[in-house]
Amino acid sequence: MSGTEAVPGFARQRWVGQPLKRVEDPNMITGAARYVGDLALPGTLEAAFLRSPFPHALIRGIDVDAARSMPGVVAVLTAADVADTVPLTDLVDLEGAAKTPRSALAAAKVRYAGEPVAMVVAADRYLAEDALELIEVDWEPLPAVASIAQAVADGAPLLHEGVEGNCYYRAATAGAAADAAFDEAAHVVRRRLHIGRVSSSAMEARGILAAVDPTSDELTCWISSQAPFQQRYLLSLALGLPENRIRVVAPAVGGAFGPKDFVFPEDVCVAVAALRLRRPVRWIEDRYENLVAAPQAKEQDVELELAADAEGRLLAARARFTGDTGAYSYSAPGGFIDFGLAAQSLPGPYAIGEYAADIAGVLTNKAPIAPYRGVGFTASQTVREILLDELAREIGIDRMELRRRNMIGDAPQTTATGMTYDGGSYGAALDRVLELIGYDAFLEAQERAREEGRLLGIGVTPFVEMTSMGTRSHLQSGIHIFSHDNARVSIDLSGKLTVAVGTCSHGQGHHTAFAQVAADAFGVDPADVSVIDGDTGRTPWGMGTFASRSAVFGTGTILKAAGLVRDKLLQVASLLLEAPVEALECADGFVGIRGVPEAKIPFADLAGAAHFDPGVREALGDPTLTAEAFFDTDPTFSNGAIAVTVEVDPQTGKVTIDRIVAVEDCGTMLNPALVDGQLRGGVAQGVGVALLEESVYGDDGQPLATTYLDYLLPRSSELPAIEVAHLETPSPHTPAGVKGMAEGASIGTPGAVINAVFDAIAPHGTAIERLPVTTAAVWEALQRAEVVA
Amino acid sequence: MTQVSMTVNGALCEVDVEDRRLLADVLREELGLTGTKLGCSHGVCGSCTVHVDGEPVRSCLRFAVQAEGCAIRTVEGLAGEDGELHPVQAAFWEAHGLQCGFCTPGFLMTAAKLAESGAPIDEDAARDLISGNICRCTGYSSIAQAVVAAARALQAADPAPAP
Repeated sequence: MSGTEAVPGFARQRWVGQPLKRVEDPNMITGAARYVGDLALPGTLEAAFLRSPFPHALIRGIDVDAARSMPGVVAVLTAADVADTVPLTDLVDLEGAAKTPRSALAAAKVRYAGEPVAMVVAADRYLAEDALELIEVDWEPLPAVASIAQAVADGAPLLHEGVEGNCYYRAATAGAAADAAFDEAAHVVRRRLHIGRVSSSAMEARGILAAVDPTSDELTCWISSQAPFQQRYLLSLALGLPENRIRVVAPAVGGAFGPKDFVFPEDVCVAVAALRLRRPVRWIEDRYENLVAAPQAKEQDVELELAADAEGRLLAARARFTGDTGAYSYSAPGGFIDFGLAAQSLPGPYAIGEYAADIAGVLTNKAPIAPYRGVGFTASQTVREILLDELAREIGIDRMELRRRNMIGDAPQTTATGMTYDGGSYGAALDRVLELIGYDAFLEAQERAREEGRLLGIGVTPFVEMTSMGTRSHLQSGIHIFSHDNARVSIDLSGKLTVAVGTCSHGQGHHTAFAQVAADAFGVDPADVSVIDGDTGRTPWGMGTFASRSAVFGTGTILKAAGLVRDKLLQVASLLLEAPVEALECADGFVGIRGVPEAKIPFADLAGAAHFDPGVREALGDPTLTAEAFFDTDPTFSNGAIAVTVEVDPQTGKVTIDRIVAVEDCGTMLNPALVDGQLRGGVAQGVGVALLEESVYGDDGQPLATTYLDYLLPRSSELPAIEVAHLETPSPHTPAGVKGMAEGASIGTPGAVINAVFDAIAPHGTAIERLPVTTAAVWEALQRAEVVA
Repeated sequence: MTQVSMTVNGALCEVDVEDRRLLADVLREELGLTGTKLGCSHGVCGSCTVHVDGEPVRSCLRFAVQAEGCAIRTVEGLAGEDGELHPVQAAFWEAHGLQCGFCTPGFLMTAAKLAESGAPIDEDAARDLISGNICRCTGYSSIAQAVVAAARALQAADPAPAP
């Protein structure tokens, strides 16, 4: 399944590669787009949750009588009312890993502040929240652990029975070869870095509307979703309902970035209420809930050592990744994906020599972790890039020269961690970003500025992004991300195309891009293609949209199904035109004989013949112009580089980002404007991780960043115009050479920003060991340096 | 319950509402104008921005009863009656100024006020003027470009700047 020749006619690519305006936008700019909170069914009830105020506590009793009898309240659910649902837990099958299942509502014990304890269903949200005030809970607070250090300390309170030391998983790779390399190294650098806990913070928080069709008994859940089929499966497991009685629909989705792949306890409660009450029930998460109880992300402690020879060539790396998973590992890939992928992805675009890594997952009394843009990759790439700068400083060579000495070649190859790259433009991406940012000129300007007491800095980080976690990436390197994707393509009696995919767009513009793909496969205008996604009732099975996979799996499935339909269409035309298939071509909505302009038949007539012409049906046996196809692939990897320049105010520590340049190579681009958008958005989120965002918890386990006044998202005033450029190295594995992208900038940007800050304050030392690198942290570093000086 | 009379997108509306109901909720639920979005409900993100008597305000920080006698304009009131897009809508579409679209109505209402003011706007100024709205998807570059383009389009259509 490789090469563009698999789909005749595709190579022309009239539409693929064009920066078409999005078909999604007219609804969104007029207010007509319908997100889950905009859907109304007659008699819809609203749900609100009572959440634990304690990070760790026993529930000795709960009294909901007053809430139940309040006018306007229809139902109050506690753990006893959802006891027949199956607890949610991760679907990872790893030897030695402990499970930490959670019931939909906490029964005897809560393990984080924000954990749902009861749900009120009322005529409207205002009344539901009133009723929450009437619920009495008899709490017995327990001591809590709010950090990895607290959680693994001797005598620490335990979150889950059977999880010794609050550590649910631990593994190590053999390290003898790496140890030997360290013994012989001319240079060794080490760094500890705490990757901060962040919130993906989609502008639309979580939400679900559940309703039972009284005639079919089907439960339909409209969810702010990026993976409806995964959610149907997880709901089926939790509710004990067969999948054929559940439909999951993603309406317009206001951003997701990873955590909306899964089923949450709140979803299960809402579904139970809809099934019991036989009325539509809706829960729309507010921002406070989102910041304390929705999945958080990325937090881990990283220790990395690099060993190099006298010229700076890497001999070995030793690493320890310890994830702070929060109170439960319960999303489908659990907490493993964060520290596991961190360990896996450490090499990036470098030959690192021998490698040894310890990984561990630790439970704390904080909101559970789920994947968020750049999952795992962010942690390891950031630490590696910081340490490469330190190594260059120690050796006394230019930081980019050090990177060049260790960079891999462009050909496909396998990393020290077993990932088989499909080739890229690793060195060229670095060269291009240095050229665009004006690296040499900047260094001169930086020198002059330092003489004036101004602190300028530059950070440049090449990155590699895994973009199609499929069956073979699972088999090759043990990454527990499942893959199963299909598309259905059909031509209707109007001669128009319908493309139904198992991916699920939530802002990326798939309806635009996939119409371009199908248009090229058939030689029609994209306006003649209708794309359907995000609905288990209307599309074939697919894993959904996450991990930058949709360009590869969407395009792959569509082109494979399109090829089957196109073959059938040509056979029909061959009969009617009395010409061999080889002499035919698709163009402008017709099939015609190549070189004979008048010998052509419109798609509508061919579809009509396929349906109603007994001669055609008899000749073809199966003339149907619909096909469904499965697609899988060897893993693909995009690459690129980010360059950032900053100025640090020596008086206040405030960091101003002057320029950001992002270079990306994602193979063939379906729609460059969409790629630019993903690139810039990923940069912005990376700046947040580096400088601003943190889901802060007190030492007692209380969440402290509970509004957007405390949880700081990047604003337009904090970002410069983000400059972008592209290289194109088509993947040898996928039709059209598509690789996919969307996380690379999130992966590369934090390291670039931090290296720029460290470069700026380098004369004053860089002893900052945690993200985000806040203004206060920079100021403190400058103060320490002055004290030392 | 209090009866509130307000003009919404040019039409007079009379609704009976609880005093505690937010303007955003009344626009969305009672009047069915779901284009206005609630992103944070505490006045920071700007997704709920609407115009009240010509000024952009956060409809999550106002009670509906405070809108008595006011003229409200929402994202649904930006396009012309014939469906012709407002220059800010056209510019956001052209510049890829949106991805998930959830913050977009708020940005459009903020940007419409800026663009309609007639003041010349460059990209830096646009970046500053939209900094009260949060977008999680775009990184703001395309939004800033769209605001500049919309301001230029309005000036071209009506070269005399508003006083």
